[in-house]
Amino acid sequence: MYKAVIIGGSAGSFQVITKILSSLPQNFHLPVLLSLHRLKHVRSGFVEALSIKASIPVIEPYDKDQIKPGKAYLAPANYHMFVELGNKIALSTEEPVNHSRPSIDLSFTTAAQVYRDKLIGIILSGANKDGAYGLKKIKDYGGIAIVQDPEECQVKTMTESSLRLTKVDHIYRTNEIIRFLQNLKP
Amino acid sequence: MVRYEIGIVETRNVIKTLLETFDYDFSDYALTSFKRRLEDIIINNGLKDADGLIYRLKNNKDYFEYFLREITPETTEMFRDPSLWRTLRDDIIPDITRTSGKLKFWVGNFDSGEDLYSLCITLNELGILNESTIYCSIISNVIEHKIKSGKIDFKQVETNEANYTRCNGDKNYSDYVTVNNGMATIDTKLIENVTFLKQNTLFNNCPNSVKLLLFRNQIIYYNQSLQDKIINNISNSLVAGGYLAIGAKETLDNTNTSNKFTVINDAEKVYKKKTG
Repeated sequence: MYKAVIIGGSAGSFQVITKILSSLPQNFHLPVLLSLHRLKHVRSGFVEALSIKASIPVIEPYDKDQIKPGKAYLAPANYHMFVELGNKIALSTEEPVNHSRPSIDLSFTTAAQVYRDKLIGIILSGANKDGAYGLKKIKDYGGIAIVQDPEECQVKTMTESSLRLTKVDHIYRTNEIIRFLQNLKP
Repeated sequence: MVRYEIGIVETRNVIKTLLETFDYDFSDYALTSFKRRLEDIIINNGLKDADGLIYRLKNNKDYFEYFLREITPETTEMFRDPSLWRTLRDDIIPDITRTSGKLKFWVGNFDSGEDLYSLCITLNELGILNESTIYCSIISNVIEHKIKSGKIDFKQVETNEANYTRCNGDKNYSDYVTVNNGMATIDTKLIENVTFLKQNTLFNNCPNSVKLLLFRNQIIYYNQSLQDKIINNISNSLVAGGYLAIGAKETLDNTNTSNKFTVINDAEKVYKKKTG
């Protein structure tokens, strides 16, 4: 019944993402969009690092690539990553938002506008408030909002900002996020 | 605080106004980013909604040039993707200088000056700036004035300098830029001989016999059919064997034009136009 999962994270989220990607079933039935803060001038290495343990393919998409189930799409360095009508990736070099490009708020907001109540948004550890507004938009459109338990986060700012702005559906530790995704029915 | 959001119908109404009043066709721009930019314009100009924007466009003809500036994303960084600029300097442009005919370069994307100045610095360091013919597309007169003033957003200087350093050039970024009282200005002599080409959204003003065309991070703002149309159009400007550089995460594979080009450098997205 859902159409996509979108995950936002920054400082302290890398190991959590790695665990999630390695725990998904190989035939996971949804696309996973990853909007993660990263060094803007380092184009290569990140997708390779995430791919090592992932059980589904991790791709750094090109502009207008079709979004397909069972694949993870990592926002490329120094681009915003949007979801475009027609279930496509759209990239943008517009000015940074919350000092960030990719901006989690923009990825989440555009995904919410396309997938509406069929979207699951997850905010992980991070050191700024980017993502808080985007998670609110997912909730406003009727999607599911999940925040990593701040007690477990290496850096709490992002999750706490999200919790201040939105009445979320779940506050989960990493293993609970994984169980939630594993139990999703096609 | 909830940000204003423009609906699809309102967006179409704005597009209709732009076409009927100004003959500028935005109908095949990628919707997500186009809507977002309209929202920014409406919010930043204190217009209440799409109707407010349409009213302003129709009743204040001078406003249109400002609208064109605002609807076009700034390129924001000089020497963005230093590895591309190294490739241009070390491989592509030297190859061009070995061909016969004029050295013609075209910054085709709607640049806010960053790609143009980066190209001119590169040509200058190769010692061929004065013998080069350089064109630069602009969509708004406001942007042309900004580029000619040489003024750079002070916040960008650090990024520009870091990018320039990663190009391993012969000089220092500070050789080209002066900083005074929190204002940064780039040496406008670099662009003395540049010809600015005012374009509409469909690129109605294309030069010919171009050897290198930069068209970086422009087609990301188009839907697929407009990507096809514009790439076909601008590629007519290139000589056979001429080079096209697009953005690092753009690809001709999602267009119907990839058979016209050979991939020269896949990581930097440099293509060469086939003969015939």
